[in-house]
Amino acid sequence: METTKTIINYTHRQAGHCESGATSNLFKFNGLEISEPMAFGVGNGLYFSYIPFLKIQFAPMLSFRNLPNTVFKRSTAYMGVDATVIKKIKDPVEAMERLDRNLEKGIPTGCQVGVFQLTFFPPEYRMHYNMHNLVVFGKEGNLYHVSDTVMEFPQVITYDDLLRVRYAKGAFAPQGKMYWINHTIDQPVDLKAAVILGIKKTVHEMIGIPFPLIGVKGLRWLARDIKKWPIKHGNDKASFYLGQILRMAEDFGTGGAGFRYIYGAFLKEAGELFNHHAELLEASDMMGKTANKWREFTYMGARNCKNRSKPEEDYGTLSVKLLEIAADEEKVYQKLKKINF
Amino acid sequence: MEENSNPVYKDKAYGQHRELSYSYQDGGKFERTVGFHDNTDRIVLQQAWDLFDERIEDARQRVAAGKVSPVVYYMEKNLLDPLNLSMMAGISLWRVKWHFKPAVFDRLKDKTLQKYAKAFNIPVDQLKNKNITKVHEGGTKDNEGKQSIS
Repeated sequence: METTKTIINYTHRQAGHCESGATSNLFKFNGLEISEPMAFGVGNGLYFSYIPFLKIQFAPMLSFRNLPNTVFKRSTAYMGVDATVIKKIKDPVEAMERLDRNLEKGIPTGCQVGVFQLTFFPPEYRMHYNMHNLVVFGKEGNLYHVSDTVMEFPQVITYDDLLRVRYAKGAFAPQGKMYWINHTIDQPVDLKAAVILGIKKTVHEMIGIPFPLIGVKGLRWLARDIKKWPIKHGNDKASFYLGQILRMAEDFGTGGAGFRYIYGAFLKEAGELFNHHAELLEASDMMGKTANKWREFTYMGARNCKNRSKPEEDYGTLSVKLLEIAADEEKVYQKLKKINF
Repeated sequence: MEENSNPVYKDKAYGQHRELSYSYQDGGKFERTVGFHDNTDRIVLQQAWDLFDERIEDARQRVAAGKVSPVVYYMEKNLLDPLNLSMMAGISLWRVKWHFKPAVFDRLKDKTLQKYAKAFNIPVDQLKNKNITKVHEGGTKDNEGKQSIS
C-alpha cells in the first residue's frame, strides 16, 4: 500500500471542553484568535437538563452541555463566519473519502465521535457517550492524526478505528457528522454583537424555557429528586445515581462544574471587551463563586459515596446545597437578562 | 512529569493522563491548570467501575453455569443495556432479550451471530465460547480479536 502523507500545520491546544476547544482551535487555524471560554460562551455551551426517565449506563441521564455541534454552529453563525456542517452521511466509506478530500485541500475537519471505542482515550472514561468532538488534521498512510482537546498531545488513530467511532451507535449517534470553516477569516469580526447574542440565548435557555426539566428548573427538580432516592431505590442504587451525577458534573470534559468556570471566564472576557463593563464583571464573579459551590457539592457527594453513614441526612444536605446553587445561578441569569449593552 | 500520587484506582492503567481544568479564586481570577485528577473524581469513578465489574463478573458466572447466553456477558462487558444493544446490533429489543436464553442462542443463525459479533467487536468464535476467562480486576479494556467493519 502506498503511503500518502498530508499533515496540516495545525496547533493542538488542550482545552476543558471538547467542542469549544475544537472550535477555538479551528478559529485560530483560520486566523482568528478566539479563546476557549469565548467560543464556549458565544456558542451557548452552558446548559442543564435532567431526564429521569432516560437511563444512561443504568442511571438517570443528565446533561450539563448543549446538544452536540451547537457550540460550533452558533459561534460561527453569530460571528458571521462561513462554515460548513454536514449532519449526516449515510455511507461510512463515503464519509471517510470526504474527510480525505478535505485533508488534501488543507482543511482541518472536526468530527463528532463516540467515546467508547476511541482507542487512545483514557480507559477510566470509557462510556457510551456519543457527543465527543475531535479535529482530524492529517493523514499518513492508514493513520489519521487527530487533535482531541481532552488529551495533552495530538494522537493517531487507524482508518478502521476512526470509521468505527464516527459511526458509533446508540443515543445521539454521530452518523458521520463533520464540520469545518471554509476559508481564512480576513475581515474583522463583530465580536461584541456575537457576545450579546450568545449571552441572550444562554439566558433564555437557562431560565426562559417553560419546561420543568431544562435549565434552572431542571436543577431544582433534580434537587428534589435526590432527597427521595434513598427511600425510593435503596442506599446502593442511590449512591450509584449520585455517583453518576458527580461523574457527569466533574469528569467528562471537566463537566458541569468546570463549565461554570469556563462560562465565568467568558463573562470576564466579555466584560473586558465592553470596556470593563461593571455588571458583566460582577456576573463573572458570581458565576465563579457558583462554580466553587458546585465543586463543594461534588466533594460532599464523593464523601457520601465513600462512607455511607447517615444517608437520609446526607442526601438532604446535598439537596439543600443544590437548591442553593440553583438560586445562585438564577440570580446570575436574571442579572445578565437585565443588562443593557 | 509530576508525581501521580495516592492512586485510588485498582487498575494501573487508569488515571495516567493529565487534563486541563479551570478554577476560580476570589478577586476575579480564573486559572487554567493542567494536572492529574484529584481523589474526589477518582473515588466516584472507581465506584462506578466497581459496580460495572461486579455486573460483568456476575454475568460471567451465570454464563458458565449455563443460565444465560454469552450475549449477556458481552453486553455487560461493553457496558450496554438491552435497548442500547438492540440499537447497536440492529436487532429488535424483544429478539435481543429472547437471545439471552442459552437454548435459543445455541440455534441462532450465523447471520445473527455476525451482527452481535460486529456490535461487540469480537470474532464469532469468541462469542460462541461459553467458558470465558476472567478479566483482571478493574479492567475491561483488552482489545484482543479486533475486527474490521469496513
